[in-house]
Amino acid sequence: MIRVRNLKKVYKTRFGENRVFEDISFDLAMGEKLGILGRNGAGKSTLVRLISGAERPTAGSIEADMSVSWPIAFGGAFQPNLTGLDNIRFISRIYDQDIEANLAFVEDFAELGPYLGEEVRTYSSGMRARLAFAISMIIEFDCFLIDEVGAVGDARFHDRCNYELFRKRADRAMIIISHDASYIRDHCNRFAVLHDGVLVQFNDFDEAYHDFREKIGLERKQRSETVDIADDRRQLIETTHTVSVLDDAFRVTVQDADWKRDEGDWAAAEASYAEALALYPYQRSYWVQRAHMAKEQGEDVRAEIGYRTAIALGEAYADVREHLEFVMRRQGTELADYSAHIYAGDDARRDAPAAPDIALFARGAWGSDTVEDETMLHLLRTSATCDEALAAMLARPVSSGTAGEIAPSTIAQMIAIACPDLDRRAKAELAASEAMRSDPWGALIAAGGFGDWQATQAAIKAPA
Amino acid sequence: MALSPPYSHGLAGSLKVQRRVIGALLRREMLTRYGRHNIGFLWLFVEPMLFTVGVTILWTATKSVHGSDLPIVAFALTGYSSVLLWRNMPGRCIGALQANLALMYHRNIKVIDIYIARLLLEFGGATISFASLTVLFLAIGWITPPDDVLTVFGGWLLIAWFGAALAILLGSLSHISELVDKLWHPFSYLLFPLSGAAFLVAALPQFAQDAVLWIPIVHGVEMVRDGFFGSQARSIYDLGYLIPFNLGLSVAALIALRYVSLRVVPE
Repeated sequence: MIRVRNLKKVYKTRFGENRVFEDISFDLAMGEKLGILGRNGAGKSTLVRLISGAERPTAGSIEADMSVSWPIAFGGAFQPNLTGLDNIRFISRIYDQDIEANLAFVEDFAELGPYLGEEVRTYSSGMRARLAFAISMIIEFDCFLIDEVGAVGDARFHDRCNYELFRKRADRAMIIISHDASYIRDHCNRFAVLHDGVLVQFNDFDEAYHDFREKIGLERKQRSETVDIADDRRQLIETTHTVSVLDDAFRVTVQDADWKRDEGDWAAAEASYAEALALYPYQRSYWVQRAHMAKEQGEDVRAEIGYRTAIALGEAYADVREHLEFVMRRQGTELADYSAHIYAGDDARRDAPAAPDIALFARGAWGSDTVEDETMLHLLRTSATCDEALAAMLARPVSSGTAGEIAPSTIAQMIAIACPDLDRRAKAELAASEAMRSDPWGALIAAGGFGDWQATQAAIKAPA
Repeated sequence: MALSPPYSHGLAGSLKVQRRVIGALLRREMLTRYGRHNIGFLWLFVEPMLFTVGVTILWTATKSVHGSDLPIVAFALTGYSSVLLWRNMPGRCIGALQANLALMYHRNIKVIDIYIARLLLEFGGATISFASLTVLFLAIGWITPPDDVLTVFGGWLLIAWFGAALAILLGSLSHISELVDKLWHPFSYLLFPLSGAAFLVAALPQFAQDAVLWIPIVHGVEMVRDGFFGSQARSIYDLGYLIPFNLGLSVAALIALRYVSLRVVPE
């Protein structure tokens, strides 16, 4: 049994105190596997370090009448100047273990061959991870702490790690923290969410994950939105991937969508992917996923919109082409009629339009928050460039559009696309201006937006 | 394969664990520092021997004035060996914890074990170097046998105690402020000529004697020389000063050690 009572941890920093958590209590018995969900920086790793005994709590107590491991697969304890063999000998001596037996086990498990006799600093990161995991397995603990067993080695090695941990040691206690919620779902029988220094426990994964998502979502709403404005559309597209996968809200939504997809619930999965894409509309890879979900439901128009968008945002055409052709054939048309417009990494006006561009144009030029699927698809099929798409939209305004309050992220995207030539300060001033909120289209045009978009300019000047 | 790591109960059990941990750290330290290449861990004492021999030759060649007619070889041997003993210990312990933070994940390893392992290594190296050179110089007739080996040994241990306490104090403080590392080098460099390695207290004028006797090391070095030369030279030292000083330094070192141990954050 491990008894954690009223655990408090405060770090002193130069800017005052950083309270990681204030009052955490829980018990963990033999055989129980507790999975802890929490966003980046919630204090999951700190909690694990405290329980491992490597660090002391500011207040509260941790009583353990079982032996507790160091965080599994943690490679930092290696002395890089020593060989793999010497590192194994060292750990064996610290824990008073049979050195020869341990050497044999690691040799067999880590499959490092002759590298075991080389200095660890010459290892690749994969080799280090394998050695670290193997060494973690040579000492038998009652409770294992598992901090982020990420992508260690290949699938086969992963399977063997899981076998060692969860089959051979199924009777032990474990505390698991991981970014991969599936890992926690598959291997734990108790769950907890660590958020804002509070640990809430659940017996059911779905309840825990629901709570986790809600907390992340709420936090996102509360966060005062300071949105970075990209230099231009190209940068907006290129950086979206990196930024989005670091965003907990995006990640949990995508995770949720993936699970629904795995269950074959296409409609719910499509809705979840759409929810994730609403956070990062220029995230190309998930447009493909969303399109697949639509395709599975026979929603070919939405599927085609998704595939065309992915291609226009730079997803590899060769990979998406067969899907695009498939959904076009089901609609009785083919690529020869409407060719695919491929991402060129060019100025916005010359580059292929995607669904989020059309949505931005609709908000600006039409004052409408929504675009009919058929209209959207028609624009994507017939416009080779954003300039053409916007000109076509100006030529055929819709009168029925309604628009709510404009989101700061939408403003930022509009400015990046319409006014790439403004310097950063001018962009920020424009984004902060009242005009941009009340009449975004007017404000963009007044700021010289779409200045070199020839078709668009012609459409603006044409008599209505 | 392995069973649960044995629990140790009571002082005897804890001591057993600590001895094992320090032993493992010692081997790891030796391998890391000296490796298995060429003469390997023999460098542990060959390096200080080279230093001492070099200084001995230099001082002999320049006929350094040390204010007495004592044999210069024995003078250099005792003086420089003492310097190596107390000066290398803090040098090895400053920053030692930072370099070994990851070890804090193994709950059997405590901060003090890291320091003790390094101190034992330094003490061993300096002692073997001092002893072997003494035997070597005796064999080739450069020095005469020490007058009182026990006094030499006592002085030697007192210097080691001073060095070890200073090392743990500075090692712990260096984890709090990196200033310690920066200041130690000039400080140790300046302390070297004042440490009694290069002079006999009795040979100094009275006002200088009064001043240098405030420096604890001087007493230790004088005691070693007392054991070496006996009545050949007049040694001035006061264990009533050195031992309380060492005790006070040790208490300060343990306080700093505890402060750091309670706050150490592994990477």
